[in-house]
Amino acid sequence: MNFLGYERPDGSVGIRNYVLVIPGGFLGTKICDFVKGTRTIVTADSGSGRTSRDRETIARTLIGLGMNSNVASVIVHSLSAGSGYPELRASQIAEEIASTGKRVELIDVSKEASTLRALEKGIQLAREMVLEASRLRRQPFGLDRLAVGVKCGASDTTSGIAGNPVVGNLFDRIVGAGGTAFFGESTEIIGAEHVLAKRGANQGVSKRILEVAAETEKIAKSTGEDIRTINPVPSNIAGGISTLEEKSLGAIHKSGSTPIQGVLKYGERPKGKGLYFVDNWMSMGSIFAGYTASGAQLVIFQLGGGGWSGNDLLYNSTAVVAPLMFTTANPKTLAMAPTSIDFYSGTVIEGKDTIEEGGEKLLQTVLDIASGTFTKVETMRYADPTQIYLRDPCF
Amino acid sequence: MDSREALMLSNKDNVATSLEDTEPGADVRVRIGKEVSKIKAVERIPFGFKIAVTDIDKGLNVIKYGESIGITSQDIKQGQLVHIHNIEGARARGDLVKGDSK
Repeated sequence: MNFLGYERPDGSVGIRNYVLVIPGGFLGTKICDFVKGTRTIVTADSGSGRTSRDRETIARTLIGLGMNSNVASVIVHSLSAGSGYPELRASQIAEEIASTGKRVELIDVSKEASTLRALEKGIQLAREMVLEASRLRRQPFGLDRLAVGVKCGASDTTSGIAGNPVVGNLFDRIVGAGGTAFFGESTEIIGAEHVLAKRGANQGVSKRILEVAAETEKIAKSTGEDIRTINPVPSNIAGGISTLEEKSLGAIHKSGSTPIQGVLKYGERPKGKGLYFVDNWMSMGSIFAGYTASGAQLVIFQLGGGGWSGNDLLYNSTAVVAPLMFTTANPKTLAMAPTSIDFYSGTVIEGKDTIEEGGEKLLQTVLDIASGTFTKVETMRYADPTQIYLRDPCF
Repeated sequence: MDSREALMLSNKDNVATSLEDTEPGADVRVRIGKEVSKIKAVERIPFGFKIAVTDIDKGLNVIKYGESIGITSQDIKQGQLVHIHNIEGARARGDLVKGDSK
């Protein structure tokens, strides 16, 4: 049960080997346009005009992406509208990432002759850093060094019956072998929180799960709207899901059956290993970058798709430095998007596989991807911008 | 007409999930584990949608996964489609909040 990965100075293991440039914007984008093997975050969330709580979330996300084991080394620059705030100061971000022992270079644009000279410096540094990263070789490591995050989306009733339980079985296998797994989507535990809370590793965790559901429901009620006009989303309803409770009760199956070790904030790195619930938002534009900042090397989109009207090209969503893989249990979805889906678990509905057999096969696919095989959407450069999960009003 | 398949997830459930597009009048084999019972679909039940396995009166819980997924908004007969036209969610209903400060 090994995969081939890149060992980092802090003992973590990457399944990819990128040089990351943060924050995004002009410098990040232009350096990455020029230099192979680089990644940056594309987002409008600079932190400018945001509360300290939201600025901390942005900082936590950037730092977490830098610390992620898929990143060999990092360039941090100061060309961002938010970089004047203490939480988002480039030197502060660089210092925190450097605690992992990996190489971190800082470009203070104010100390360069011009922005374009800063770009030149960034390009030359990035070229040198990807060359250095390319000298690393993959070695075998066990599942205890793997962390994965999952979102279920465009959910339909195949998600709750087979797609999510098979991912849950994968989670049980990874966590059982000493690894780490993240799930979340706070709105989508409403109606199922009492089931989930029984799985808290201690009373504090159970209490926190119930609190997250209660806080989310309170905010939802304050809108004055029936949640069913918001979430379940139209494609869920078109796929046979009738209420939020039904969606939630199906959604929690993706977490498997192991105890929940803690409840994390968006982008927060866990203190230990095992299964974690993340208080986050379901949007594919937001959730994957958060899991990656928490430390996931691989993210999984478990797709229903029964309510989709036809989209065979599942564009790459932004996990920034982690590959995204798609699974589905819906044969119609597989038939619609065969060039985007990495794993089919509809065999469970067809009676050809048990959930355990499906989980074993999914693990083999995950180990293959962890060892370097591209996911299908990883072959494409395009990714939607990242929405960092910010909760406060802006000013 | 061939029989169609539907899946119950808990023996407490009063709905089953259709595993095939099912036409009105079709016999439906409802599976739970290895047990199979038969009901008749009285209307069209698309793949992935829910069929009532018992009569469920208005105002009662609809049970799937052994848990309540909502409340019936009208009487539902065995074999009928169960979806947004005849069940409502009970949670996060901001539209039902009255007099609260928003």
